[in-house]
Amino acid sequence: MGLRSAHYARLLERPRTRVRWFEALTENYMDSRGRPLEVLLKVREDYPVALHGVSLSVGGVEGPRPGYLERLKALAERVQPFLISDHLCFTGAHASNVHDLLPLPYTEEAVATVARNAARAQEVLGRRIALENVSSYLSYRESAMTEWEFLVAVARRADCRILLDVNNAFVSAQNHGFKAEDYLDAVPAELVAQIHLGGYSDMGTFLFDTHSRAPTPPVWELFRRTIARMPGTPVLIEWDEALPPWETLEAQAVKAAEIEEEAREARTA
Amino acid sequence: MKPGRLERLQRGLVRSATCAVDPDFVAAVEGGGRLSAAEAVAVYRRGYPARLTEALGETFEACWRVMGDEDFLAACREFVARTPSRSHNLSDYGETFPDFLAARADAEAAPFLGDLARFEWAFKELFHAAPRPGLSAAALAKAARPDSVLRLAGPLVLLSFGHRVYGLWKRDRADATPVTRADWEGPERLALYKEGGNPVFVRELSAPEHAALAALAAGRTAADALAGSGLDEAGAAALFAFLAEGGLVAEASR
Repeated sequence: MGLRSAHYARLLERPRTRVRWFEALTENYMDSRGRPLEVLLKVREDYPVALHGVSLSVGGVEGPRPGYLERLKALAERVQPFLISDHLCFTGAHASNVHDLLPLPYTEEAVATVARNAARAQEVLGRRIALENVSSYLSYRESAMTEWEFLVAVARRADCRILLDVNNAFVSAQNHGFKAEDYLDAVPAELVAQIHLGGYSDMGTFLFDTHSRAPTPPVWELFRRTIARMPGTPVLIEWDEALPPWETLEAQAVKAAEIEEEAREARTA
Repeated sequence: MKPGRLERLQRGLVRSATCAVDPDFVAAVEGGGRLSAAEAVAVYRRGYPARLTEALGETFEACWRVMGDEDFLAACREFVARTPSRSHNLSDYGETFPDFLAARADAEAAPFLGDLARFEWAFKELFHAAPRPGLSAAALAKAARPDSVLRLAGPLVLLSFGHRVYGLWKRDRADATPVTRADWEGPERLALYKEGGNPVFVRELSAPEHAALAALAAGRTAADALAGSGLDEAGAAALFAFLAEGGLVAEASR
């Protein structure tokens, strides 16, 4: 489950939950020495934690902002996360951060840029990171490969792992006219470190990744198909907007965990 | 050096999202779904001010409440249009918003807005600051002498405003009572601090208390700080009790 400030008071009471681990948004904690960090460290006493960032800008030609990686490393040393991840995108320029997950063209130049920045990040952090595929609302005319070919090429070139967002693959498939199954089936299981599920909004003319609702039935079906190839992969439901009660979030996490268990049992049988 | 193709595309998208739409960039992309290229670029263009406005709204919640939706959101639009974000952290956005609001505010109806925003920015900064427990009251009593220099812990931030804003900030969110001149007229001095833990506390200070604490923070001895402040004996005792009980002194040295 994603750790959100709305959960702080509940989690500090250390209740019994059915949540297996938490994912914390890196930027909410890397600059704070106050209550957010205090809560995260308390949660870490009881649960494994993954750090998930939105500002690495691994695809930016300028690379990560000065000091960003060092701050991330300092946070990671305190939290000892089982995974550090960010997005396969760029987020703006150093002089003007757009604070958005901006899509990259699927070109050799972009693969080389991401690989260079990811290598530097992994060198500073002293560990492999995972990069997540993003939802996009435009495509570049000069892209020379499919999105999944780009994702896999980056992971192999950078020697990093993939955070496979099934919802984002579905959204991009609908927006750009390809089959999500083709995308997800093409990602080698051994590269995937984590899976994200989430909910999108249908804007009428396109699908928008809003994280404001539960995954839709087609996304659950894609998840079943995907997890069957990679049982044991940690799964997270992303829900950031219009946050429902804890019980709803927990039920979604349990549903994902049960599907993952079924896949594991099927593989064993 | 001439920028490469990837850099030109990235500059084009950043410019299109934050400033003016770049026609070369629009020509280089196709829209997703049933969007035209220009409509797809507009998706990113709409998201940028929305995210920065949301960040301003979180930090300057009391300003928003006092100004109302229409005026606050108009102020955010103007500010966002002229102030790029340079940080990786959205929470860092808005450091100059208090000055912007002060310059923009109606001098008759809401001259306090800059001060209220400065209070909210300081509160946010302190919220994220590490607590630094100081000496216990007993240890401070043992160590401190009139010629001691007291290094303040906490952290503790001193604020001095031309308008009273703490009461406005404390108001209940549901309190829709109009703000009147009586609510904000007159100067205000405040200490924002942590007592070794993470809750942020606010103490209203008299002018002599503020002067004494400012002198201590500047490295003056306890005797000098008190002598220059105008605090009487009872006032000095109360101020030192505040520092001692809050664990707000890290070190007393001579």
